[in-house]
Amino acid sequence: MNGANFVVQALKEQNVSQVFGYPGGAIMPLYDALFDGGVNHLLCRHEQGAAMAAIGYARSTGKVGVCIATSGPGATNLITGLADALLDSVPIVAITGQVPTYLIGTDAFQEIDVLGLSLACTKHSFMVSSAEELGPIIEQAFEIASSGRPGPVLIDIPKDIQIGPSVTHHLAKLVKTEKSIDHKAIEQAKSMLQVAQKPLLYIGGGVGMAGAVKELRDLIKYSKIPSVCTLKAIGCVPHDSPFFMGMVGMHGSKASNLAIQECDLLIAVGARFDDRVTGKLDEFAENAKVIHLDIDTAEIDKLRQVTLSITDDLKKVLPAINTKLSITSWQKHIAKMKIDYANRYDHPGDPIFAPALLRQLAELMPANTVICSDVGQHQMWVAQHMFVDFPENHISSSGLGTMGFGVPAAVGAQVARPDNMVIAVSGDGSFMMNVQELGTIKRKQLPIKILLIDNQRLGMVRQWQKLFFNGRYSETVLTDNPDFVTLASAFDIPGESIKSKSQIDQALQRFLNSDGAYLLHVSISEEENVWPLVPPGAPNDKMMESVE
Amino acid sequence: MKSLLIIEAQKSPEFLERLLRVCRHRGFTVDSINAETANIKQSTHVTLTVCSDRDISLLTKQIEKIVGVTQVATLQQEQNIKATA
Ligand SMILES: Cc1ncc(C[n+]2csc(CCOP(=O)(O)OP(=O)(O)O)c2C)c(N)n1
Repeated sequence: MNGANFVVQALKEQNVSQVFGYPGGAIMPLYDALFDGGVNHLLCRHEQGAAMAAIGYARSTGKVGVCIATSGPGATNLITGLADALLDSVPIVAITGQVPTYLIGTDAFQEIDVLGLSLACTKHSFMVSSAEELGPIIEQAFEIASSGRPGPVLIDIPKDIQIGPSVTHHLAKLVKTEKSIDHKAIEQAKSMLQVAQKPLLYIGGGVGMAGAVKELRDLIKYSKIPSVCTLKAIGCVPHDSPFFMGMVGMHGSKASNLAIQECDLLIAVGARFDDRVTGKLDEFAENAKVIHLDIDTAEIDKLRQVTLSITDDLKKVLPAINTKLSITSWQKHIAKMKIDYANRYDHPGDPIFAPALLRQLAELMPANTVICSDVGQHQMWVAQHMFVDFPENHISSSGLGTMGFGVPAAVGAQVARPDNMVIAVSGDGSFMMNVQELGTIKRKQLPIKILLIDNQRLGMVRQWQKLFFNGRYSETVLTDNPDFVTLASAFDIPGESIKSKSQIDQALQRFLNSDGAYLLHVSISEEENVWPLVPPGAPNDKMMESVE
Repeated sequence: MKSLLIIEAQKSPEFLERLLRVCRHRGFTVDSINAETANIKQSTHVTLTVCSDRDISLLTKQIEKIVGVTQVATLQQEQNIKATA
C-alpha cells in the first residue's frame, strides 16, 4: 500500500464516506487511490467550491467535511473556504498535495508555502514530512477539527510521500478526560438568574456546534426566559417560541435590540460579542451583568468583561443552570414588544417584496428543508423572514460573509442529505461568484432549488452608499447581468423569471414541486433596503428603520 | 504595558511562526525573543517580551490555544520583570 492508498484507508477509518475536491499534479497519487478506494468524491468546478461544499456538508450534518486540492493554485483557491470555516468554527479537514519533499523550497512548479498560508486561516495545519507521520497526523487532524471549538485543519502531503510505501498505524484509543462541572459557578449562575428582573439569553452558533439544541430548548421551555439569537444560531429556538425575538444586531429585530439594551442579566451562550451583534460595544447591554457560557476560554473577557463565566460543554452546562424564574412583567413587556414591532409584509404595488416572498416560501417548504444563503441583503432577509427547524438547516456565511457561498454550500448539504429539500437563496452579485458550481449540480443531478433575488445591484453595498456615501453608486450597478434563466439552462437546469406579486403563488409551486434542480429568478426593485439597520458605531437601540 | 512570557511547546518547524503571528495579529509587538530547542525533550522554550495597550490575558489565552503549547507563564509590568531579571 502506498501513502495515497493509506490516506484513503485512514479517511474510511474516520468514517468519511464523501469528499469534495479537484485534482492536479501534486495530488494525482491520491486521486488514483480515490478512483476505486471506496470513498465517494465529488468533483466541484473550483477549489473554493469544494471547500464550501465541504462546509455545507459539515454544517448540515455536524460531521467533519473533507476537501482536497492540488498544490499551488489548488491550495490557494481553498483559502477563502478555510477562512470561512475558521470564522464560523466549522470542522473541516483539507488535504493538499505538495511538490515532492526534495523540491520543497526550490520554487518548483506549482510550489507555494501552503503551511505558511494556512497559519492565519486554520485552527491547525500539518506538513507531512515522512510516511511514519501520515497516520498520526490524519488522526490528530480529525480530532482537532471536531473537538473543543471546531475549525478547519489542513494537511499538506508531498507527492513523494503519497507515492512511497506507507507505514502501518493503529488508531490510538483517545482517552478523553471528562472535566467535572464547576458546581460553584453553576450555583452562582442560578442565583444570578433567580434575582434578575430582566434576564435575557443571547444565543450563538456554539449551541448548534455543541449539539446542545435540545438542552437549550428544555431550558427555554422550563424557565420561560426571553431570548435573542445571532445569525449562526437561527434555528436553535423554534421561531414561534413565546419569548423568542429572533436575530439581534445590525439587522436584528427591533424587539431583540431593545431587549438587549433593557436587560439586567445577559447570558451569552456559545456567542462571541461580534461587532455585527453588539453595535457600539461600550453601550451594548449597558445595564446588564453578563454570564458567558462557552467552550473557548479565549472568548471570555475578549470584548466584554463578564461577571461569571463557565467554560465547559454547553450540553452539560445548560441543564445544570435550568431554573424556574418569576419574571412576569418582563415577559409581558417582551410579548408586547413582539406584537408592537412584528415584521410587516404590507407593500404597495405590483413589484415583488422579497421579505414577503421568503416568508411565504418558509411556510410552504417541507419540514427539514435546508436553506443555504449567499451574502448581502437577501441573506439578511432570509435571516429575518424565513424560519427553519434546526440550526443545521440554516447555512449562512456568518463570520466571514463570503459572497459565492450559497450555491456550493447547497451542493454539500444536498449530497449529505439527499432526502431533504435544499434551497439556495442567492443574489445576482453573489450567484456569479461561484456560478461554475452549476456544473457540479448538473454532474451529480442534484435537485437543488435556487432562488435568485435579482436587484441588478450589489444591493447591500448600494444600501450603504445610499445611506452613508451620499448616494454615490460606485461600481454597484449590475444592469448588464446575464440572462440567468438561459445561463441555468446551459447546465440543464430549468427555471423561470418572475417580477410581479401575482406570479408568486404558481411560481413557488413549480419551484417546490420540480423533480430536479430549478432556478426561480425573481426581479425586485433596487430601491429595497434591509431594515432595521444599526448604523456603524451606534448602539443597538439607535436603529434606522427607513431612508428618512 | 510590557509583559514577559515564558512558553513551552512541542518542537515543530513552524512553531515560532505561529507564535509570532498570533502576537502581531492580536495587537502585541515583540520587544525581544529568545528561543531554544532541547532535542532530547523534543520541546521548544521561548522567552518573550511583548508590549501592548491590550490586556495580556487576551494574548496568553490565544497562545494557549496553539496546538503543541504545553505551558504559558506571564510576568506583567516592567518593575516585575526588572525585579526578577
Ligand atoms: C467575496 C466578497 N466580496 C465582496 C463582499 C462585499 N459585499 C457584501 S454584500 C455585497 C453585495 C452582494 O450583492 P448580491 O449578491 O447581489 O446581494 P444583494 O445585497 O443585492 O441582495 C458585497 C459586494 C463580500 N461580502 N464578499
